[in-house]
Amino acid sequence: MSSPILFVIVGKNEPLFEAEIDTHTGSQGNELSTRQNYFVLHSALDLVEKSAWTTTNMYLRVVDKVNHQQVSTFLTAGNIKFMLLHGGKGDEVIKSFFNEVYGYYVKLSMNPFYKYDTPITSKAFETRVRAAARSYLS
Amino acid sequence: MSSKSSAAQSGQALWTKMPKANAELFALTYGSLVTELVRDYEDPIEVNAQLDRIGHSIGVRCVDEFLSKADVAGMGMTTQCQSLRDTAEVVAKMGFKMFLGVQAEVGGFSQDQKSFSIYLQDNPLSTFVELPGDEQGGSDDLRRLKYSNVYCGVIRGALEQVNLKVECNIVRDTLKGDDLNEIRVELKEVLTDGAGDDYKEE
Repeated sequence: MSSPILFVIVGKNEPLFEAEIDTHTGSQGNELSTRQNYFVLHSALDLVEKSAWTTTNMYLRVVDKVNHQQVSTFLTAGNIKFMLLHGGKGDEVIKSFFNEVYGYYVKLSMNPFYKYDTPITSKAFETRVRAAARSYLS
Repeated sequence: MSSKSSAAQSGQALWTKMPKANAELFALTYGSLVTELVRDYEDPIEVNAQLDRIGHSIGVRCVDEFLSKADVAGMGMTTQCQSLRDTAEVVAKMGFKMFLGVQAEVGGFSQDQKSFSIYLQDNPLSTFVELPGDEQGGSDDLRRLKYSNVYCGVIRGALEQVNLKVECNIVRDTLKGDDLNEIRVELKEVLTDGAGDDYKEE
């Protein structure tokens, strides 16, 4: 039994990137649970702001827990938030996942055609993130 | 021209003598230049023209530096370029190596030996670059943008200074999904030297 995994990048004012990752094919999340996932994730944002001041690390570990779902967060140097909703994965695994995505994000932000804090439309970025999610989180 | 490898060798020698700049800084600087032009001119065709113009002014200056340094390297001037084939070798193996640190290949000569192609495996200008797809705002069609068009201008400007009038065009671009970069160079005419007939001595 695996719960769905939701990965979102949040900028200053709006979400920049969203990816829902099914760890197992066939576990089709219905619309209700999808909405609920987003709700949990977005309501964790306040807790991210709070916990950002408690540590000097970029990786904030689990910031919020709702039932079986946990929200882990990584804060980039530019104050962009990587948030991952999951059903209790190992801390280290998520850390390496975030680090890899951070690498891709830095590459993306070096692209002269990408403007900071705008929605990410790059297809290549999305496939890379999904591949990373598959290799680390499934 | 002695041989193919000697051009590559002296290219290497020239490269070691050149002051180096950080590749990322270089790529990002060029990137912001291009995006600024895209913002200013909007029409990609016009941006291509501007890049070519900028490249031309760079090339006109570059060739002097190239010739002065290449001379010191003990090759360039002692063996003059006899044909366009030699010129192509020197541009690709020495010019590109000296200023960009990348080795370019020459090929695709036409029947009349008046045009050739320069192949670039990796393009230092397009590091990090990903052209925005058509999904966002179809109005400004950036697929017509030739991101590295400055190369064309540089080659055109440099060869113009040595009395070769050429036309350059980027025909393949890794940014557009091709497997390598190809710059097509076409010789239009060999210009005669500066002073006209009136000034010639009898």
